[in-house]
Parts: sequence; structure tokens; C-alpha cells
Amino acid sequence: MSVLTVCPYCGTGCQIIVNDSDTGERVTGYSKSPVNSGKLCIKGYSGLSYNFSKQRLKYPQIKRNGEFVRVTWEEAFGEVSTKLLGIIKRYGPDAVAFQSSAKCTNEENYLMQKIARLVGTNNIDHCARSCHSPTALGLITTLGAGAATGSIRSLEDSKTYFVIGSNTTEQHPIIGTEIVKERKKGKNLVVADPRKTQLAELATLHLQFNPGTDVALLNSIMYSILEEQLQDENFIESRTQGYTDFKTEVEKYAPEVTEGITGIDPQDIREAARLIASERPTAILYAMGITQHIHGTENVMSVSNLALLTGNIGVRGSGIFPLRGQNNVQGSSDMGDLSEWYPGYVPVDSPRVKKFEELWQKTLPKTKGLALSEMFDAAADGRIKAIYVMGENPLVTETAISDVEKGIENLELFVVQDIFMTLTAGAADVVLPAATSLEKEGTFTNTERRIQKVNKVFDPPGEAKPDWWILNEIGKRVAGIRGYVSPRMIFEEIGNAIPSYSGASYDNIYPTGKQWPINSDEPDGTEILHTKSFPIGRGKFIPVSYGPPAESVDEKYDLIMTTGRNYFHYHSGTMSRRTDILNRESPGPYAEISPEDAKRLGVRNSQYITIESRHGSIKTQARITNRVPAGIIFVPFHFDESRVNRLVGKKLDPLSKIPEFKVVAVRVLT
Amino acid sequence: MKEVFAAISKDFETFGTIEKEGEVIFDKVNDFEHISEKRSRYAPKEFLIKRNENVLLLEEQTRRAVFGVKSCDLKGFYQMDKQILGKDPFYTERREKTLFVNFVCNEPCDGGFCTSFGGPILDQYDLQVLRDGKDYHIMVSDKFKEYFNDYREEGDSFFSRFSESFNSKMDVLPVDGLEGRMKWNSGLWKEFASRCISCGACNFSCPTCYCFDLYDDENERKREWDSCILSGFTSSSAGNVRKDLDERLRQRFYHKYVYFKKSKGEYLCTGCNRCVEDCPVGIDIKEVITHDYSIE
Repeated sequence: MSVLTVCPYCGTGCQIIVNDSDTGERVTGYSKSPVNSGKLCIKGYSGLSYNFSKQRLKYPQIKRNGEFVRVTWEEAFGEVSTKLLGIIKRYGPDAVAFQSSAKCTNEENYLMQKIARLVGTNNIDHCARSCHSPTALGLITTLGAGAATGSIRSLEDSKTYFVIGSNTTEQHPIIGTEIVKERKKGKNLVVADPRKTQLAELATLHLQFNPGTDVALLNSIMYSILEEQLQDENFIESRTQGYTDFKTEVEKYAPEVTEGITGIDPQDIREAARLIASERPTAILYAMGITQHIHGTENVMSVSNLALLTGNIGVRGSGIFPLRGQNNVQGSSDMGDLSEWYPGYVPVDSPRVKKFEELWQKTLPKTKGLALSEMFDAAADGRIKAIYVMGENPLVTETAISDVEKGIENLELFVVQDIFMTLTAGAADVVLPAATSLEKEGTFTNTERRIQKVNKVFDPPGEAKPDWWILNEIGKRVAGIRGYVSPRMIFEEIGNAIPSYSGASYDNIYPTGKQWPINSDEPDGTEILHTKSFPIGRGKFIPVSYGPPAESVDEKYDLIMTTGRNYFHYHSGTMSRRTDILNRESPGPYAEISPEDAKRLGVRNSQYITIESRHGSIKTQARITNRVPAGIIFVPFHFDESRVNRLVGKKLDPLSKIPEFKVVAVRVLT
Repeated sequence: MKEVFAAISKDFETFGTIEKEGEVIFDKVNDFEHISEKRSRYAPKEFLIKRNENVLLLEEQTRRAVFGVKSCDLKGFYQMDKQILGKDPFYTERREKTLFVNFVCNEPCDGGFCTSFGGPILDQYDLQVLRDGKDYHIMVSDKFKEYFNDYREEGDSFFSRFSESFNSKMDVLPVDGLEGRMKWNSGLWKEFASRCISCGACNFSCPTCYCFDLYDDENERKREWDSCILSGFTSSSAGNVRKDLDERLRQRFYHKYVYFKKSKGEYLCTGCNRCVEDCPVGIDIKEVITHDYSIE
């Protein structure tokens, strides 16, 4: 049997056909897919073996006297629900926090936030906090919708690509290859990245700017556009607001002034400005290089300003493309698994929450909950007594990890629901074995807002169960839900809860998915957003001024470290490191260091080094490469034996509460 | 054909090409009507080399018959035979127990270049089926003659006439002497490498690629399909000696068009075009054949 489903890795959401064991477990790209047209990257082809790993969790376990003991599901549910209810009774619902996952389905994310809110707390958050929370906030503020404005397929109509803070061929490979192919045909490509990525090598222009200086860079590009009068006056006049104030701010950023901040030659800034503004339509693609900063939300708004200034929005081939890192980070955010929003981005303090009170028949909490980046600190100081984690590995992925450990130790109940015994699961009181996305049904929403059907290929091992089933049982016991018999039933409720999903059903999104908003006005979904107007009427220019990153180099910490993923791995490595080919290609931790810095520090290739920041230190292996310039080192975050997030500081973007994973002052010791 | 299918399905577990959501894939089939004649989405290598399996135990395999394989894909197995039949016990056990029924294409496909390597009528096959309107013409290997005792025998002339007419419909690429023409220092390899994202599609889609990696998973030792484009390829022995991507891409093309030709007397390519179709950055192996190396 072969099943059409969705790749479990990045947010591109490639559709895959997977054969079951009878037909050889083969993976093939779905050639009719509007997302990937049958193409896949190495993670699609070789990344699924973790499903069959002998290390999969097969039954529920409770820690007794420091050892995990196998229990029945009934016992596990009894333990979790009794303790949760006890904690809520003793300390109130805000003593409990939930962490959902962008790797899980829409149905599961919807269910988890519903349970959190029914027990009375908005302490529900997930990994979108650490990736695209600035996008949601930034673009909702400026455009009215926190999502990609166009489709992957529409990129074929672009004349120019402006890629900032995205290593697209490695992180969203099938989107990256669209750009590679179009570039080969002669399209323009401007890449702004501190590292020399594959796209940077192919680019018309590579702006290799200093990490954390995005606003200065973008403002100077916009200064140059205004200087040469390349702005789209007609668009500004008819579709936007706030132009005058924005212009006043941007006029302070002559490229000659910002050169000292960004390190970019004014001539290159002007050349970039001409390409972006004149060779239209221009698509602007960005990822974590924009968002993972204490100015993340301002960076996003700055990108939005650029699109509005040049009229690059609402037309095929133009637009803003925040590239989503995980398979369902768009969907999990849409579902309201963020502590400040109910489903469909309804602010928790908005009168519109009433709608959910009617739908769920309960008075709901209306104050902001804790962000993921705040939950463990709250546990460490005693405000949080129980945390329920679904499919996340915060011991590896959160910043200043020692405090995460302290937080976990301080909890009365720590529940982890996962497919493997991760570092975090190992610290739990109760571990619940979950099914992978190839073992269950549901939907994912990809980076272009396409809601796609996820279908079951294999049976889960042992007693492992789909996350929705587990949550359903927990929800019946702690939140008074009546219970769902299938993911389909949950999806139907999602259609009632979120207007932009209201026209979607399991039947009409199969096989090729549909892009939200899908409703009675747009029954086939919406490929391009904002063609005539914005959900907020006019697009908003927001003046953004440059502020430096939280950390800078000094005599002791003389290098800037930036972190990220590599091509072969995915986040904390739970899946990809249990997948033969991927793990073989990238078997262990390393740091990319420039030949200049290596020479200065006396570091040889493959030598073990210690990287120390103001917050911690790790041991890793040096990889000397020209991909990074002198003064910058790059460290991937997949490796739990060398947790780079120990080095990242706790300062957050005050608006979105995302930590600054991209700029950390460090030194290298040999 | 229905009756032949019925007879074969008594002795074999039957698989065939079926359409699913517009895609032609291989699955279990119980009757001949459901089998699609369209070209399958992929070469069905997994019938002989599983994508991932435990190698500490070789179980006796069931006899399987696979209907609807295209000639270009089937030819790949005959090329693999030269390298691994009798050496790889898993491949050998399955190869000996699997009957392939190849459906000859009536018309050339887009992009395919099988006629450069002999065209769709193969000289090695189990059952080679060519449909002519409602009639089926079948070439049968000695091994499976028993299923055709009741049928009329005709000469090969139908097939040779078909072959001639089919081959005249497609341009033949200049493959002759390619092993002497290709250049080690050609600029092609670096240009390909500048675009390549190391996805492995060319290997995984190729009906002639058979390489795998070995790894341990708790109490099992498993093998999994591998790609020579990856830098970790062969790391279980000495490691990949080809440090740069352009060298690895060049090796793949040299293996196909130079080394295999020199050692086995034929090119390790069937002209199926699958690597071109699945390549996300448009690297076209036909360019390796048609490129003018003399000007470099």
C-alpha cells in the first residue's frame, strides 16, 4: 500500500508518497503537488528511518525512585490527571503550563490549547516562540495577517529575489531550488547574510553584513530607494498609511552612515535598492536571520516597510515569505498555541474571546500567559508547578539551559509526550509514548498557508498512540471535554473556531491542499494575499530605528557566534540523529570558524575547542571554512552532547519574547 | 492477458502499476484490469533492494510477480545483475524469486532517451508485453514458458518492426565513444555542483543504482539506500575520497559512462530520464552526453 502524506521536516511541506512495509517503505515526491512537484531533499528521501528505530518509546512510563517503570495507559492517565487537578486546586490554574509542538498536527495543537484554556490558563506556548513569533506579531501589525503573502509556485513569476537571513537551499531546500533554477535563467538574486551560503555564492549581489544590524541595512536600502525615487508612489498613496513618519525615520540612514554598522559598501546598498525596487516583481524571503533577535519584531516590520515602499505585495511574484522552519509551525500558530492569542490570532484580552466561550461553553482566561521563553524561569521561582510538554525538547532548544534544569527540578509534575526518550523526556516524571506523523491522521499547514492532509502509513510501535488520542484522554479527565472520536471531528471544530479555516474539510483539502483563507468567499482558498486591500484596510508603515543587538564583542569575548540548523539535521536531532544517512552526514557537533580566526587562535581543522560566552561554555570541534567571515563563528544547535543554547543569553525581544539566538559574544579557547 | 495474470497469480504474490491520486505507483493487485499501462512514477527497485532492512537475518522470500514495469526500469536490474547478482544475498534471493512483466511503451515519453541505449524492446526479460490495440504480443523467457503452452507462437518480426518504428521517433544521443570523450577537468562538474543540493534524487530514482549504507540500531544491523553524491558515502570503510561535490558528481557520471563501459562493456544508464525528472535544480544527464568536451 502507498499513502500520500506530508514530509515531517521543514515548513515547505513537500508532499510524499510513502510505501508501507509490504511495498518496500519507499519515499517518492508527489509529482502533482503544487508545493514540490515531485521533488524532495535528502531529509525527504532518507530522513524517515527514525520511524523504524528500535529506540522508539513503546509504552507509558512513570518515574519511581529515580527509575522509569512501565505502566498501563490507565495508570499514566490517573497519575497525570490526579496530580494536575491537585496542583490546579492548590495553586490555581496559572500554576500549570503547556508546551505544544509545531511538529504535531493542527488537530493536536488545537486540542492542547483548548485543554489549557478550559483548565483556566493561557500558559500555552510552543516553539514558534523561538522562530516566527516576531513574524506573527510584526506582520499582523503591518498587514493584518502573519503569514506568507504568496505561494511557492508564484515565485516563478518574480524578477528579483531578496533573501535575507535565510539559508534557503539548506533549510527549505525545495523553495531554495526554485530560486537556484530561476537564477540560472537570469533572474536577479540579492542575498543578505553574514555567511556565504550556497545562494550567496550564486547571487547577483551578496551583502555580507554584520549579524544583528538588519534594521540599519534595510533602512539604508530604503533610504537609497527614496534617494533615487524608485518607490511605488501609486501603491503608497492608494494602499498604505504612516508613510510620512516612516520616511522621516529612514532619512537618517544614508548608506555612508550605516556602513560603519553593517560593514556594507554604500555602492552595494544602492545596487541592492535598484534591483529590489526596479526589477519587479520582487519576492522577499526571510527566516531566522531576521526573527531570532531582540529586535526580531522590528526586523520583520522593517521587511514589511520595504515591501510596502516598493509595492511588492499582492501581485504574483512579489510578496513577503517568512519561511517556516517546522512542518506545522504556521498551523500550530494559527491554532492559538501562543500565550497571547486564541485560535485565529484573537488576542486573549479581546472581547472576541466570547466566541470561544460560546463554542467551548466555559468562561475562559483573558490575560496573557507565559511565553515558552519564560516558563522554566517561572518554574524555577515557584510560580509554575506543573509543565506538560508535547513533542518538544526544551533542554536542548531553550536558552540559558541551566535554568531550564533548575526549573524542571522545582516542578511537582513534569509530563513529556514524545516519540523517543529525549534529554527532556529523561527528566520527566511521566513519559507518554507518541505516534509519529506517519502513524496518524491530521493536517499540517505549510509555509505558504496550505492546509494539507496527513495520512497514516504505519502502525505505531508497541502501545504508542497519536498525540490527539493521548490529549483527548487527558482532556476528558482534567478539562471536562466530551471527547473526540477522530481527528476529523476536531478539524470540523477548527473550522468553526477559525474563520480562515472555515471552508476547509478533510475531503476538499485532499489531495493537493488548499491555502487559507478558505471560506465561503474563497472556497478554493487564496493563493495571493492582499491583492486589493489588507485585512486592516491599509498597510501600515512603522518607523523602525536601529538598536544594537543585546551582545557585542569586547576584549575578552572577541567573536560573534551565530547559531542555526544545518542541511542534514532538524532541531534537537530527536528524529534526524536517529536516521542513518542524516546522522552519518553530520555525526557530531562542530563550529564553523574562518581561516583568519583559526590562524590567529592557533586552531587546526577538527581540533576540539571550547567556546565560552558570558553565560556558559561548550566543547566542540572546529571546522575551518570560508563560509564564515573573520570575527564570526557559526554553531549548529542539533547536538545534545554540546548544547550551544547554553551560551545564548536570556535577553528577549520585548515585543515577541524571542531570544537572540543569532548574536552571542563568545571566545574560543584551545 | 487476464488468463495469464490469473495463472501467474496462483504461483506468485502479484503486484502491479496502479493509479493513486494521479500518480502511477506499485501496489498489490488482484486482477489485470486494475493495472495501469502508464509509466510508473519510479523504478521499482524496492522489490529487490529494500530501502531499509535488517541484514542480520535473511528470510526466505515469497515469490512475487510485478506487472507494468517499464523496459528502461527493468533493464536496470539486468545491469545490476552484472555487479551484485550472486554477491548480495538479499538481492539474489529476491531476484531469483521475482518475475517482472515489462510493458513496452507504445509511444516515446517526454524527456526519455532509451533509444540511445537500444530502445524499449529488451533482449533480456521474463515476460515482455507489447500491446497492439486489443491484442497483446508477448516475449517469454524459457523460465516462464509454462504459462503459454496454449498460445500461438509467432516470430519476432512484430517486435523488430515495432522497435524500428519506435526508435525512428526519437533522436538518438551521441553516446558512442562517450567513455573516450568525457573530460576530467570539464567545467560541467563545477557548474552542476554550484546548483546541486545533495538530495540524492539522482541515485534514488536511478534504476541502476544499488549502493547502500550499513548501520547498527540496537540489536539489529540495518542497511539503507545510499547516495554517492553525499560526502559521507563509503564512510564505513575509508571514507569518501572525493572531498568536493563536483568530484562526487563527476564520479557518478564517470561510473555510468566510463568505468562500467570499460569493465562491463555497456553504459550503466538506460535512458529513463528519471534522474532529470527528480532533480530539483535541473541538472540534466543528457548534457553530460551531448556536451562538447573538445572545446574545453
